[in-house]
Amino acid sequence: MDDYSIGVLTNIGLFSFLALSAYLLLIAGEMSFGQQAFFGVGAYTGAMFTAIYGMPLPLAALAAMASGAVVAVLVGLPTLRLRGLYFAMATLAAAEMARILFEMLHFQREINGELVGPDGTQGFRGIRWVFERGVEPLEYMALIYALLVAVLALFLWVERSRLGTTLRSVGADPELAASLGIDVTRLKLGVAAAAGALAALGGVLYAHHNTYIEPRNFDIMLGVHSLAYALIGGLGTAFGPLLGVLIDLGLLEGTRFFHAYRMIVFGGLVAVLLVFRPRGLLDERVVHWIHARAFKRA
Amino acid sequence: MLADLIQNTLDGLTAGAAYALLAVGFTLIFGVLRRVNLSYGAAIMLGVYFATWTSHHFQVGLLALALLTIAGAVLAGTYVERLCFAPHYAARDLRTGASSSSIAAMVASFALWMQFEEAAILALPKHLYAFPPLYSGEPLRLGSFLLRVESLYLLAAAIAVCLLLHTILYRTRFGLAVRAVIDVPMAAQLVGMNVSSVFVRIFALASAIGGLAGFLIAASHEQVTPMLGMWSTIKGMLAMMLGGLGSLPGAVAGGLVLGLLEAHSQWYFGPQMRDLIAYLLIFVLLALRPAWMTRWTTIRSAS
Repeated sequence: MDDYSIGVLTNIGLFSFLALSAYLLLIAGEMSFGQQAFFGVGAYTGAMFTAIYGMPLPLAALAAMASGAVVAVLVGLPTLRLRGLYFAMATLAAAEMARILFEMLHFQREINGELVGPDGTQGFRGIRWVFERGVEPLEYMALIYALLVAVLALFLWVERSRLGTTLRSVGADPELAASLGIDVTRLKLGVAAAAGALAALGGVLYAHHNTYIEPRNFDIMLGVHSLAYALIGGLGTAFGPLLGVLIDLGLLEGTRFFHAYRMIVFGGLVAVLLVFRPRGLLDERVVHWIHARAFKRA
Repeated sequence: MLADLIQNTLDGLTAGAAYALLAVGFTLIFGVLRRVNLSYGAAIMLGVYFATWTSHHFQVGLLALALLTIAGAVLAGTYVERLCFAPHYAARDLRTGASSSSIAAMVASFALWMQFEEAAILALPKHLYAFPPLYSGEPLRLGSFLLRVESLYLLAAAIAVCLLLHTILYRTRFGLAVRAVIDVPMAAQLVGMNVSSVFVRIFALASAIGGLAGFLIAASHEQVTPMLGMWSTIKGMLAMMLGGLGSLPGAVAGGLVLGLLEAHSQWYFGPQMRDLIAYLLIFVLLALRPAWMTRWTTIRSAS
């Protein structure tokens, strides 16, 4: 495989984590404008652990996921009882606060005669843990996809379980779910924490792929893109968000077919698609249909 | 010390007037449809770019430029309404929050934002273009303080737009229809009102206000960049949130408060703290939702 294809495929894998994070909240009935912040928290935390404190990547990834979950709970506690658009606005405000805090974060240490660490708007250079260990781009891509497959398997397992049904019932009608004895607030807090950890995992992998991150990477554009990925692909299955990322990054950017008109084509396509399929390509109905067919054959 | 405080207040009012005007258009859409139109700023930017493009190819006066900007914004806004919002009116949950139709409409409007931004860059590919100034003389001197004349235009426009909207909403048949649709969309539909046509006119009106704001802002900055779209959406949304989401007087107040807050916090703490404080205030206000905010968040009932 050539470097360009590896680059495109790696990016598809990385942003899939973020799209899945947005998807998880969407099926629980919450629209977050702020998942990019947890992606950023994961990227910064993980990068600081490997580049400054010299810890191995797996440990850094765990630390990043933990911090993503903690921050998500801290943001979720005051905001999750808000309804709909108010929650979206509050998460947007929180995410922009996080981005500005990254801009204000200066924490540089001298490592091997070189200053390493976040330097405000100048960004964070030299996140070279993966590079220094001679991991080939193809191997790193394989690692990303292995983790993605594990996450997907978890999603599919949860969605088939009782927890998945509870989740979707809360998303469909929180009052009704609460009247059936489901602790909606606690469930949503758990979902927010899991979504935060998932986005943070994507972030730490992203930071070590790019070797350089800056606060601008985690702006609102990234957040809205991840929402759009989940919605284009469909809210019926965890494969939906992946399809969304694939359509944008793979089909449109990867092929470079539309050149300068990419966004005009993509924008129009998304708007028209949502007219006919407001819950995405792989919505609940399509997924049910596929399941029914699959079981009939078996 | 006191002199700085006064000068900052004057500067804050200048920025605040622009924010107020942006927020009024944004609030009109949110208050009536309970939908967020993310491409609101991008449509304004497209209108401004339309006027800029014309002024680079033909000789046009300021008034014509203003009308071109407004026309461009209205066209873009109506396109957004028809493609992103109109298909989702049928859904029964018109008034609730993050229903799937409101998410779909919002994401679709974001998609068109991307479209507008690319169209603008294709039409005028340089990063920065000059825009004819609104006023080329000296700023006003009030004692030792300076006040930009443009800010008076912006403030006057904000007040005029509010009075006009108040008249439309509470003195005309169209206003009555709008308030009836806000109250109970289903009932309005049952008595034979065309809800969709009310919404498209609200969108056109909001875009015209946005276009006016865009023209005045571009003419007082004397330059345009594609960033104007994102900037307008964010500032309009922030001011709307400060004003309590859905109230027109609240939007004006929110715009002015945002302008003043930014001017003072920038002076004392720098530009990063300025933005941080604005977002923190909004986060706290949304999380706490104090009673005074919920009281004036809606347009008065039709009955």
